[in-house]
Amino acid sequence: MLLANPVETGHAKASLITNLQSSDQESFYVGVRLQMQDGWHTYWENPGDSGSPFEANWSTDDGVIIENVQWPTPITIPYPPLMTYGYEGDIVFPFQVFRSQETELKTISVDFNFLICADICIPESASLSLDLSSALPSEILNTQINNLPTKTINTNSSIGDDNLVISFQSTESFSNAYLFPRESGNFFYPENQLLEQIDDTNYKISIPLLDSNLSAFSGILSLDGNGFQIKEQFSSQGGISLWQAILFALIGGLILNLMPCVFPVISLKVLSFVSMGGDDHTKIRNHALAFVGGVMSTFLSIAAALMIIRSSGSMIGWGYQLQSPVVVGILTLIMLGIGLILLTNINIGTGLTTLGNSVQSKNDYSGSFFTGVLAVVVASPCTAPFMGAAVGYALLQPSFATLPIFLSLGLGFAGPYVVLALKPEWISSLPKPGAWMETLKQFFAFPMIATALWLMWVFMVQTSGDALIQLLILGLVLGIAIWMIATFKSSWKWIGLIATVILSIQIFNNLPSPISSDQNNSNATNWSLVSEPNLQANNQAYLINFTAAWCITCQTNEKAALSRPSVQEYLSAQNITYIKADWTNRNEEIAAGLAKYNRSGIPLYIFWKPGMAESKILPAVLTEDILLRNLK
Amino acid sequence: MKNVLNSLLFLVFTNSVFAAEIILQDPKVNDEAPLFSVIDSDGTQINLSDFRGKPVILEWTNHECPYVAKHYSENNMQALQKMAQDEDIVWLSIISSTLGEQGHVDASTANKLSKTRNAYPTHVLLDESGEVGMKYGAKTTPHMYMIDRNGVLRYKGAIDDVGRGMQFFSASLQDAFNYVATQLDALQEATQLEIGSTIPYGCSVKYNYD
Repeated sequence: MLLANPVETGHAKASLITNLQSSDQESFYVGVRLQMQDGWHTYWENPGDSGSPFEANWSTDDGVIIENVQWPTPITIPYPPLMTYGYEGDIVFPFQVFRSQETELKTISVDFNFLICADICIPESASLSLDLSSALPSEILNTQINNLPTKTINTNSSIGDDNLVISFQSTESFSNAYLFPRESGNFFYPENQLLEQIDDTNYKISIPLLDSNLSAFSGILSLDGNGFQIKEQFSSQGGISLWQAILFALIGGLILNLMPCVFPVISLKVLSFVSMGGDDHTKIRNHALAFVGGVMSTFLSIAAALMIIRSSGSMIGWGYQLQSPVVVGILTLIMLGIGLILLTNINIGTGLTTLGNSVQSKNDYSGSFFTGVLAVVVASPCTAPFMGAAVGYALLQPSFATLPIFLSLGLGFAGPYVVLALKPEWISSLPKPGAWMETLKQFFAFPMIATALWLMWVFMVQTSGDALIQLLILGLVLGIAIWMIATFKSSWKWIGLIATVILSIQIFNNLPSPISSDQNNSNATNWSLVSEPNLQANNQAYLINFTAAWCITCQTNEKAALSRPSVQEYLSAQNITYIKADWTNRNEEIAAGLAKYNRSGIPLYIFWKPGMAESKILPAVLTEDILLRNLK
Repeated sequence: MKNVLNSLLFLVFTNSVFAAEIILQDPKVNDEAPLFSVIDSDGTQINLSDFRGKPVILEWTNHECPYVAKHYSENNMQALQKMAQDEDIVWLSIISSTLGEQGHVDASTANKLSKTRNAYPTHVLLDESGEVGMKYGAKTTPHMYMIDRNGVLRYKGAIDDVGRGMQFFSASLQDAFNYVATQLDALQEATQLEIGSTIPYGCSVKYNYD
């Protein structure tokens, strides 16, 4: 076979190009460029009523993975009464390439078979090759990559009257809209689709359905040639809708009140209401409202912060705040400090720590407000298991959907106090104040200390045993400081506080740099972005475990299922490669891997074996049974 | 009826001046097959109703279309026609290419093609107005329809399962899952077929769309 570049195929000129800049790039693109003669076209992945997408057979060296093509936005090519979808003129089909750095860059070759049509159709082909060690980066390819329909657009869809109706928002005006369905077989392909403008920015587009039992839709919405990816689920499996996410967030927020790290803080607030007795309803209402205000404004700040980080382009996921050892260390100390304060019955009169006190100051509602803030802060390490789905969804949505989810989360969290603010008289139904309150308060110290212990473990996994000892010393200093503040008057109080602050800064400055924690499970392979395509190409079954030390659900799953002998035996007997992606520390590659599955949080378990068209997402909560059943 | 309405709706939406002439119907499987009357390559007027009592297979064809060409050059279509003939099933090859478009042939060329390609159609129908094609919603060549002895449409769609994608041109048609061949016996039962409809593949039917 003669390898060349470019090749005249009959009605087109085909060439192979790349955007490789330097020889150490692990990821770059190659593109097949087709310059078709006037009046000739080739097809999109769904060709419409007739035609066929191209076929590319690559030959490369081991260690080089070429992904599937990233289809450019197609155009409509009508041949009434038929409609086809494809490309005319000069078009580039980009393919992403991954390779390990050890692999030397050599020649890359492709057999490119395509159907090219005018009124009539002709199958043509080109055998192209490109020497990557000497190829120059192509501007044309980069332009095409920049124009790929990678953007998503917020949509809502409904099925009615034999039509699929997709509502979308566009702030920019356009004159032509067309929705290209990716799967063939479910739709008619009309020449024009019915477009309605609802208001300034909201539109509805309808496509006629062949089969109204549609469970999912994916496709490209083209607005004047600008492509947007559209994905819709009509069954509840897999994805969740905005309303479901808001509902989950509300319930999740409510459940958060019962978490070991939150319950004590919250109950103390309730106890302080109890000691106010049932006499002054206005005061109870105002305190409850102040608390709700504290909770809501903290959740809003978190949402705002996340949206700012996201808009700056960083990959973030829920629980990401625990990826910083400094944050984990501070949370440990907060938990420990609260535990100590509860246990020793020390009254500290600052705003943040009106915790255990009855509300002495008559009109100081700032105490209640800050208790709300504190409750959210201490709740943050516990949110992941309950919030995962809702917050993960929120982070992948445009801002107008992110905010309601976080607001609903806060509302759920503050739910009991909202009720209390509405019905202050209900406080009377709680038990009468008395000595039991003191006992209960002291007991609540232990869940806090338990949470601190867990955070210490996370901290140790993220850093080292030495760093942990430093953190523990800090804990000791904190203990002394609390004791000093409570026992002595005036200046000693401040000396204790200042000493704590100085020592904290000292220790956090000297933290060893984070190390990763792969040693736990020696039979697990490390994950990378190319793991999946590599293994699929080799017909090798695999199970991927996206996990982190700070993810409680992940740890539970590991104990209850993944590390069980029966599971490990099954994996080796069935020759299933077990891969671990450890997200304990921040890692852009893993965040990108999660995004491929529309997730921003963990746990996430992926399974594939030969014969499966697509890899499967396993349930987030695993037992031995559930796991083995899913692997069968 | 619903489909007719649908098509009429398209007509409204598409704003096409010529739309009235090019509406594709979408006959339902397990409903009565649309009746037609059209001239064949021997100059005889052929009515679908003439064949009541025998199963009928419709094959939309265009000898210049690369998809059709492959089915004939590998003797795949002829073998299928022979199987149908042996089972006393009527085979109608229909050419809906309009005058001047690819695949359009006159009567004598049509007969010559049958002879040189060693094909066994019962009749070759010359539908250059596209009337029959539109009644059946024929989109591609090949596009296959199976009608039972009571005149009920039992199958519409692709001839086999290898057409979507370029692998068609390198695939072995003998190894493909042929929806028509595998359901010939079942068609004799005149009951619902296991596979009633698939997505057709191939070249577009060359209707008069100017």
